Amino acid sequence: MPEGSPENITGDTPLLQRVYLPFLLEAHNPDGGWGYRRGGQSAVEPTSWVLLALKGVEESRNREVEKSGTIQLPDSSTPRLLNSWNVGVRWLSESQLPDGSWPSFAGQPRGCWVTAAASLALYTHRDSPDRVARGLRCISKTWPVEGRLWRRIGARLLRRDRAVRQNRSLRGWSWTPGTASWVEPTSHALIAFRHIPKALHPPGAERRRQLAERMLYDRMCPGGGWNSGNPLIYGAAGVPRIGPTVWALLALQDYKDRPETRQSLDWLEQAYSQIQGPGSLALAHLCLQLYDRQAPALESALAALNSNNQLLGDTLAAAWAAIALSGRPRWLSPEIRS
Amino acid sequence: MSVNNNSLVPAFKRPPSRVAIRKAPNYHVDLTALLDETLREFGLNVQGSRVLLKPNFVEPDPQGVINTHPAVVAAARECFLRLGARSVVVAEGAGHERDTEGILETIRLRHYLGPLAGKFVDLNLDDVRLVTTRTRASRAKELYLPRTVLEADFVVSMPKLKTHHWAGVTLSLKNMFGIVPGNCYGWPKNALHWAGLTNSILDINSTVRPDFAIVDGIIGMEGNGPVQGDAKPCGLLVAGDDPVAVDATCARIMGLVPERIKYIVQAGLLLGHLKSENIRQLGESPESVRTCFAVLDAFKRLRGEHAYP
Repeated sequence: MPEGSPENITGDTPLLQRVYLPFLLEAHNPDGGWGYRRGGQSAVEPTSWVLLALKGVEESRNREVEKSGTIQLPDSSTPRLLNSWNVGVRWLSESQLPDGSWPSFAGQPRGCWVTAAASLALYTHRDSPDRVARGLRCISKTWPVEGRLWRRIGARLLRRDRAVRQNRSLRGWSWTPGTASWVEPTSHALIAFRHIPKALHPPGAERRRQLAERMLYDRMCPGGGWNSGNPLIYGAAGVPRIGPTVWALLALQDYKDRPETRQSLDWLEQAYSQIQGPGSLALAHLCLQLYDRQAPALESALAALNSNNQLLGDTLAAAWAAIALSGRPRWLSPEIRS
Repeated sequence: MSVNNNSLVPAFKRPPSRVAIRKAPNYHVDLTALLDETLREFGLNVQGSRVLLKPNFVEPDPQGVINTHPAVVAAARECFLRLGARSVVVAEGAGHERDTEGILETIRLRHYLGPLAGKFVDLNLDDVRLVTTRTRASRAKELYLPRTVLEADFVVSMPKLKTHHWAGVTLSLKNMFGIVPGNCYGWPKNALHWAGLTNSILDINSTVRPDFAIVDGIIGMEGNGPVQGDAKPCGLLVAGDDPVAVDATCARIMGLVPERIKYIVQAGLLLGHLKSENIRQLGESPESVRTCFAVLDAFKRLRGEHAYP
């Protein structure tokens, strides 16, 4: 078993250095991108999150340097990290479509929800502000279909409108073009708008942002938290899930004092101990930290979950774990906006 | 290969299908022996094949009501290995939940299969290939599908016996929604709903028609399925070499009329047999094990005359 593979989780080296960073570096494809799984074909979403994770590692090292007051010599992984970073940014830039969006996989003709993460990743690497602005412009002009007037009228006449109670005039973003708003893609777009300076926003972005924030609160489950976007079906309360709840809370950081936000954080705190997937655990920990809520130690819990199935080779889970273990990322902190 | 298994044959040209109904009172009985005996009755030839088991893993549910029970999956895996399959992989692309490992751990799949690396493939994260659908019922003329599915020689759909709040029931045909990858379509795979839910079921199954189906009806779900309904113990496994015939039989067991379920009717034109006279029942008869399922008001029209009030 190679040193640094996810199977090697024992020892006193921090998990980030010993497991996740080597995993991410080894999973880097020769074409410059990362796949959803180690060895899989390069895709925009994992590439974006890995680049954000590498950024987090770099920030974490800089914080250590500031704290110790010494100039730390680069460790053995640093040159490889920098190379991965540069090559990954180039792959991501080249994968952008002419309309400014990004498809799920390079070569696909239509953009989708991954445009938000790709824009954010390029922005945090201070690369191609023009590409970032084009990405945001595309997000801003892409509307989900359910809120169009004739759709709303049609839905009122159909059974489905009685099955799912939600305000269809509140629109966020869809997973793919021509479909409806859902919690996670809406949250990703809001996170991108929140953390990329307004100078790069297109006109009308603020209105879209406000509408989408209202949509998220409309889609909250009755007891707090979010699922994919159906809080009530045939009158039955939807069960919140970790992933959508975390993404929505990360998108709604400007509303820390709203009762719905606090209620959802309470739900997340309660659900935390039941989490059985490394990716979800990392995201939940990151979210609780950003809201200054208590969360149990992450490293040992992640190590235990990793030993179950070796992450199943999931690059996104590894990237999210690396982000959470690197501490508060600057790109998710409110101060970046100023 | 399942993706090219001559799926589109009009019903009148098809030989009769076979569906086996076996009693299995709970998940602690010897499911491997039961399934082994059943599969041998069908005389399946999977020697040297890459077999793909497609269960229905939707959300974390420790109660065992929402998802295909891992005991059934493990038993099927063992049986296909005994039949000489080169490999048997369990593969699923959950529809709502991105944390696949969280689902698998909650339902304790590892407890039944051992460490999952190499045995389980998350279809939501798999490499994809663009495939032209073999029917054009929905607006999706092409679909990105996972490489693992396209390369499988023998696909087994392994759903749970459940009602469904949009489609009426979710069985072996609807279960194939799970092969559509989240990494291209999101969570949920909303593009299929907008392309036409029932028509998408036909297009997916015509493109990758399951070679076999095994339905976990030991504990099913009634009412507001597929995730918010109530447990419905039936004590049954239903298996067959025609997914349409299996679904029609399951509907009859549930007290529903398959001829009133749109996507089963559509599939009955090209993918398999819907009419009971074209289905040879092995084991129990549907009538002898009928357990009428509660359905939402919107689906009461699917019930037969024998259904409970």
